[in-house]
Amino acid sequence: MFRICHAGVEMLPVDGASISAVRDGAERETLYATDEIIARVESLQFTLGEGPCHEACASRRPVLVPDLSIAPQTRWPVFVSEIDGLPIGAIYAFPIQYGAVDIGVLDLYRRHIGWLTDTELNTALQIVDLAAGALLGAQSETVHDTDGRGLKVWLAPLPRNRAEIHQATGILVAALGIPAEQALARLRSYAFTTDSVVEDIANDIVNRRTEPVVFDT
Amino acid sequence: MTDPSLRDTARETRLLQSFVHIADTLVDDYDVDDVLHELTEVCVDVLDTTAVGLMLADQRGGLQTLAASSEKARLLELFQIAANEGPCLECFRSGDPVLVDNIAEYTSRWPQFAPTALKRDFHSAHSIPLRLRGKTIGSLNLFGQRPGSPGEQDLKVARALADTATIGILHERTIHRNEALTEQLQTALNSRISIEQAKGVLAHASGLDMDQAFQRLRQYARRTNNPLSRVANQLTEGILRPDQILGPQASRRS
Repeated sequence: MFRICHAGVEMLPVDGASISAVRDGAERETLYATDEIIARVESLQFTLGEGPCHEACASRRPVLVPDLSIAPQTRWPVFVSEIDGLPIGAIYAFPIQYGAVDIGVLDLYRRHIGWLTDTELNTALQIVDLAAGALLGAQSETVHDTDGRGLKVWLAPLPRNRAEIHQATGILVAALGIPAEQALARLRSYAFTTDSVVEDIANDIVNRRTEPVVFDT
Repeated sequence: MTDPSLRDTARETRLLQSFVHIADTLVDDYDVDDVLHELTEVCVDVLDTTAVGLMLADQRGGLQTLAASSEKARLLELFQIAANEGPCLECFRSGDPVLVDNIAEYTSRWPQFAPTALKRDFHSAHSIPLRLRGKTIGSLNLFGQRPGSPGEQDLKVARALADTATIGILHERTIHRNEALTEQLQTALNSRISIEQAKGVLAHASGLDMDQAFQRLRQYARRTNNPLSRVANQLTEGILRPDQILGPQASRRS
């Protein structure tokens, strides 16, 4: 998480970044923050239950505020007044999600107001994908293997455009009665331990060549 | 043999009905995922085409399928995204329509896409950009089982449907701000994933195939007047049970 946050700050015109994980669909926990300011922004939102990052999680959409001073007062009245003294121009909050799977939220802030260019936005979204893989991997022991291959596998972003991966996730949810984030993590663990790719495993599940019970650990 | 002019009239009536229906939907508080699927189905219905897919910029430099008239169209499109080549991608990158009347002639240009399309019995591919003020946000892709060009009339219709899709996706009617564009594109892409997950849940619980599972999900969303993506999320999160969507008899005895 440390590396991902710092990569964000280095590669993007932002001054700070933080990553929080969502647990059991509701509880949020800040895993890493690059500086005091973004840490304060995070903890304020926890306490108040409002703010852009909070909204990003709840509404399942990015909440991008290029100029906080002109954000409507009615949207986060307490939050905006509480951060008044902090040097924050813009906040960009990206939910880290795969469909119904809530993994966490990536928050970026910059002192100056302004919008990210298309290239910067592209980078930000790739950081989101990276964080998604890493956070899902954090739940699995395969990530802690000795030669470091596990970490590399988990940091490879899951292809979002493969419908079958998402369908297979749903099949495991129904078959094993587990939450979607676990289903997704098991797919990836299985790919890792059998040295295959998630797409192929998903394809086998969807076409009923692999029984879901194989994933019941 | 049907009289061609009669056939044209029937087609025009159907087209008009479809536009009126979609326009009506867009005025109300509508469900974007449902409208887009309907739009791909309208394309199959009124244009001389077999399978239709709608793809959206993922803002990571690629395209993702948002809606498709069938699983078959989706497989093909996914393949070309994976292969990083093909008419949809070229249409998206150039912002101009890419009309491929005979895929068999393009095997050297798209060495992976063309053979796969032919193997799946698709012989023509026509991609129309989804455009918003000079920016291309995706493409509408029509795959046909016979070689041939769409004709001027059909091309106009396809463009109108592509514009309708753009309006449908960017439902804040005046998107001047880049951040709003990103918020909506990313939301639409995530909804897509939610729906695929929910199809998996429903397919397993019922023994239905993915296309059938989607139809059941959609019927339930319409019947209860809920957005498709919300129903999908609730099903995957266990807030809704499969039998609530399928009805008591339909669940699979496992």
